[in-house]
Amino acid sequence: MSAKVEIDFTLNGVREQRAVAADMSALAMLRDVVGLTGTKYGCGEGECGACTIRVDGVTLNACLMFAVDCDGREVTTIEGLAATPPGEKLRASFVEHGAVQCGFCTPGLVMQASHLIEKNPGAGEEEIRRGIEGNLCRCTGYRKIIEAIAGAK
Amino acid sequence: MSGIERYAAPRTLEEAAELLSAGGATVFAGGTDVMPQANAGRLRFQKTLLNIGRIAELRGIGESNGVVRIGALTTITELLESPLVRGRFRALWQSCDHFASDQIRNAATLGGNLCNASPAGDTLVPLLVLDAQVVLAGKPNGTLATRRLPLAGFLTGPGRTLRAAHELLTAVEIALPPAGFDSEYFKFGTRPALDIAAISIGLGAVREGRVLRDVRVAFGAVAPTPVRAPRVEAALEGRIADDAAIEAALEAAADEIHPISDIRASDWYRREMVRNMLQRMLCDVREG
Amino acid sequence: MGEAQKTVARETLIGKRIPKMDAPEKASGRTRYLHDIDLPGQLHAKILRSTQVHALIKSIDTGAAKRLPGVHAVITAADVPWQRPIGVAKDHLPLKTGRVRSLRDEVAAVAADSVEIAAAALALIRVEYEPLPPLTDPVEALQPGAPLIHPEPHGGDGGPQLKPGGPVAYTGKPDNVAMTFEYAQGDVAQGERESDAVVEDVFRLHYVTHCCMGVSGVIAEFDASGNLLLHSNTQVPFLHKREFAEMLGIDPGRVRIIQPPIGGGFGSKLDIYPFEPIAIFLARATGRPVKLVYTREEEFEASPTRQPVLLKLRSGCTRDGALTFRAVETLHDNGAYTSWGATTPFVMMQTVSSLYRVPHCKYRTRAVYTNNPYAGSFRGYGNLQATFAVEAHMDRLADAIGMDPLEFRLKNAQQPGEVTPQGMHFGTCGFKECLSTAAARSAYQRKRLEHASRQGDASPLKRGVGIASMLHVGGGAKIYPSDGCGTILKIDDFAHVTLITGASEIGQGSETVLAQLVCEELGLPLSSVTVVNNDTDITPWDVGVHASRTTFIAGNSAIGAAKKAKDKILAAAAAKSGRASGDLQLSGGFVVTPEGEKLFELGKFLRSLHFSDKADLVMTTFYYEPPSHHQDREFKGDVSAAYAWASQVAEVEVDTRTGIVKLLSITAAHDVGRVLNRLGIEGQIEGGVVMGQGYALTENLIVEGGAVKNPSFRDYKLVTAPEIPEMDISFIETMDGEGPQGAKGVGEAPAICVAAAVANAIHNATGVRITSLPFTPERVYRALRGKLEAPVWNVPA
Repeated sequence: MSAKVEIDFTLNGVREQRAVAADMSALAMLRDVVGLTGTKYGCGEGECGACTIRVDGVTLNACLMFAVDCDGREVTTIEGLAATPPGEKLRASFVEHGAVQCGFCTPGLVMQASHLIEKNPGAGEEEIRRGIEGNLCRCTGYRKIIEAIAGAK
Repeated sequence: MSGIERYAAPRTLEEAAELLSAGGATVFAGGTDVMPQANAGRLRFQKTLLNIGRIAELRGIGESNGVVRIGALTTITELLESPLVRGRFRALWQSCDHFASDQIRNAATLGGNLCNASPAGDTLVPLLVLDAQVVLAGKPNGTLATRRLPLAGFLTGPGRTLRAAHELLTAVEIALPPAGFDSEYFKFGTRPALDIAAISIGLGAVREGRVLRDVRVAFGAVAPTPVRAPRVEAALEGRIADDAAIEAALEAAADEIHPISDIRASDWYRREMVRNMLQRMLCDVREG
Repeated sequence: MGEAQKTVARETLIGKRIPKMDAPEKASGRTRYLHDIDLPGQLHAKILRSTQVHALIKSIDTGAAKRLPGVHAVITAADVPWQRPIGVAKDHLPLKTGRVRSLRDEVAAVAADSVEIAAAALALIRVEYEPLPPLTDPVEALQPGAPLIHPEPHGGDGGPQLKPGGPVAYTGKPDNVAMTFEYAQGDVAQGERESDAVVEDVFRLHYVTHCCMGVSGVIAEFDASGNLLLHSNTQVPFLHKREFAEMLGIDPGRVRIIQPPIGGGFGSKLDIYPFEPIAIFLARATGRPVKLVYTREEEFEASPTRQPVLLKLRSGCTRDGALTFRAVETLHDNGAYTSWGATTPFVMMQTVSSLYRVPHCKYRTRAVYTNNPYAGSFRGYGNLQATFAVEAHMDRLADAIGMDPLEFRLKNAQQPGEVTPQGMHFGTCGFKECLSTAAARSAYQRKRLEHASRQGDASPLKRGVGIASMLHVGGGAKIYPSDGCGTILKIDDFAHVTLITGASEIGQGSETVLAQLVCEELGLPLSSVTVVNNDTDITPWDVGVHASRTTFIAGNSAIGAAKKAKDKILAAAAAKSGRASGDLQLSGGFVVTPEGEKLFELGKFLRSLHFSDKADLVMTTFYYEPPSHHQDREFKGDVSAAYAWASQVAEVEVDTRTGIVKLLSITAAHDVGRVLNRLGIEGQIEGGVVMGQGYALTENLIVEGGAVKNPSFRDYKLVTAPEIPEMDISFIETMDGEGPQGAKGVGEAPAICVAAAVANAIHNATGVRITSLPFTPERVYRALRGKLEAPVWNVPA
């Protein structure tokens, strides 16, 4: 078994100190150590975006990030975003535009959308499509997700 | 079971080199290659897990004396956002635009993409076209030593490079190409990104009137490493991109590539795509 | 309008854009899927699968695994001699004895303190195999001397826990034929004699898989009295309750299934797969809750696929464009065990016999065992495969007689009132309207001629349009003894409604549509309803989420319960107000008169009923059974209470230098009976179209020598956002008399004809007819150069 490492980081605005195994992913830490389950496991190799989180402002796949690499950084998950005005706006837009079906990909898409909008508030349809190319959805066919993001800007 | 005994996140290159000299370290920066490879059992963790992501001196893009230095920790997103990269290294910029997804571009580093040495690695082909050099640093005898290698020599096989176990790739250096030099990257796929190239092509040249000078061509995913294609370059150097020159280039390309068949494409199809897409790129050049 | 007839215009919810009730929780990351649930004391399980495609198990040594700290149980078939075979043909033991038949075969399983320990324990299990000749080509399965997959009996030893009358052990098969289906109407030979044009092709349909974003999983737990509680992703909780009980030899009343929100279904969860019984065995062995969740790789390697099919179709028509006959033979690769994939002919033969009017028809399927992955049910249930072939031939025949393909289809299309030779009765049928709407909105006829005329142009980019249509059940499907659904409805003292329905929510939006239908009856806003739909101890029976049936069947059931509640309230209100109950309505939370006068505020009125001398609550139940019929032994019968229709036009751009086919647009027209929730139905159609796009263009589960070669999203390509087409969707509202508010089922329909339309579009663009899927770049590129191996029918008779 790998050594445990003490890390100190900010999670959704709250300082956290945790001991994590050196080989653990940030995804496993969030779900199994911290107990925040909004960040989803979809593939474990960065191909589906269900585990999208924000670290120091940018979005990453939590499954590709070492938990130890959270040390000293600012991490935001869907639970944190949902409690902010931009998160509320995105949620309302996803709901209103019918962008949610089974909902398993939704937290990752909302996270990615928040980053996309923040970075490029004037994003048009093509830029929104490109912006979510790393998030797979099996239910909606993406159309309503694209509309929801456009509607939340 | 994996047995990482120690985790280290040094802040300086000196410190990192020291740790590497002790041996037995798994190095990561963005983690986007190391993590899935470890999960799939293709990579066994060494005793030390070495996070080089905190070494400030490995960051940044800067130019001095006609040489652009790109720190190994520069993320693909940072490359995409660099006016210098976009303005002078168009092929590199295009390869970053086709790179995986936003989430991965935000984490993945240029150094990581080079050290991963995938035959289909997106940034490798344009960097070959740009005659990039890699800078390696290590502390074999107690003092920090640096060496430079042309990228073409650095890559030795799938996942294999000339980086010694005690070395870190610290930067990529690119001499600013001559005025008028332009480059183009083509990645074969059905979608803009989130795809592994079945083949890729990098093409760079200076156009003097209708004549091509300083022609550089590289291919990805058609050999154990991305490769420069000297015979294709020779077929085009100093010539007008007319039908005859293009045909000569295509014939040379057929001789210079050695694609394999795998689940992504057959060798035959890879050959056809190199031919058709190189032809298309050269026709675009001809039409200006 | 006379004064007496004047009624207050009621605010209706029907046809509106109603957001899903569960969406706010999901978009906040608060919804707890099965993966997110951890029970106190829970153990984690992992399964050891075969390393051999086909072999005899000589020995299994679990000693070292059992000794690993943190391991609570290691089991093999020897530990559960009472286990019973599962699956559609009861040919599948959860833990294998004697023989492994595919790489997904379960050989042993571990329950441990963590997933990591369980994985480490698996690595310590030693299995000795004696390899057998593999059988991975379904054609070879029918050859004399082919390796046999199920030659010997297997199953439980009838231990003491088995109840008499339960399923018996699988008796073994002397050949590899798992199932056969034969159907005939008219006389195909006569049809052929009457034909002026006859075409024949062989089609091959590939492996794809569901790729639910939430991977498979289950949590099993026994209480101290031996009652089983399952947290399960099943789409058919009541059928599985019974099946689990039979498998365990316990009373079904002692099995409770809770369905947490599910990360995608699409038909994948209609059958029991071995991982579920295995988790149960481990829970029984350890006395602890046991959670078993797949990795994505496992999901690709060990969950069911869409049925791969080799299909030979021969069709004919007269020179004036009347279809004369159709003869179909298919070979289904069953895989090593029989799941629902083998039974897709139930649906396929409907498309063959009844999408268009065809007097003479013959259909035959053989589903054969191989050592390949087994095929399950998947949205569309064989209809994608059948429609692909049938719609290719509609174009081919139209070409052969020089008729416009749209005219040819219109001439042969079904119409309302038709009773087909297979016994289906099309009460409402908007097929012709679907055809003309999709064609007109896409400018199909003009574009088809224009694109065809440009096939020879110098440009390497070719455009094409193609049309295809589909018929699917839209009012349930009477497969089981009952195709019904129960509802319990209660209204509390504050006029809040709890709708308890048997119907499962799998993301499709049934919860919202059912609440909407109830609100429509009771004149209440959507916020007045809570839906309970996920616990077999609470909810009334339902046959499950499949066959596009939930809106229709559960909707009618919910309306029935709501109507009974309304009748009861209005009768009481009539008595109290001295008016006739027929004069009263429920609207806006009040009992109102036809003139709109508010007589009673509903909550207050219900309290007055409750807290009175005749103290009473408003609680109703309703069970809806659709007026459909089982098929007879010849597969004839009106199995659905309504039928759904759709036509879709695809426009593509083919890059002849690369073989890349870009789907530019889909123009879809769907006969949905009536739009209930516009937002929800658009979402179903858009999602289905893109799933159909994946089937046509990007998805390909590569199975070679029994092994899945691309078990990851890296190489199994789902469509991503930049690739989706423009979608123009029209709803044809035929107002079905039996449907809830006139609606019909739609869940599967949109995915069904995309690939067929794309095939016709590629032909229009390039002049090349490709008869096998998928249309991935290299395959299309080869086809354009005559280098794609066309499927051949070399199947022994």
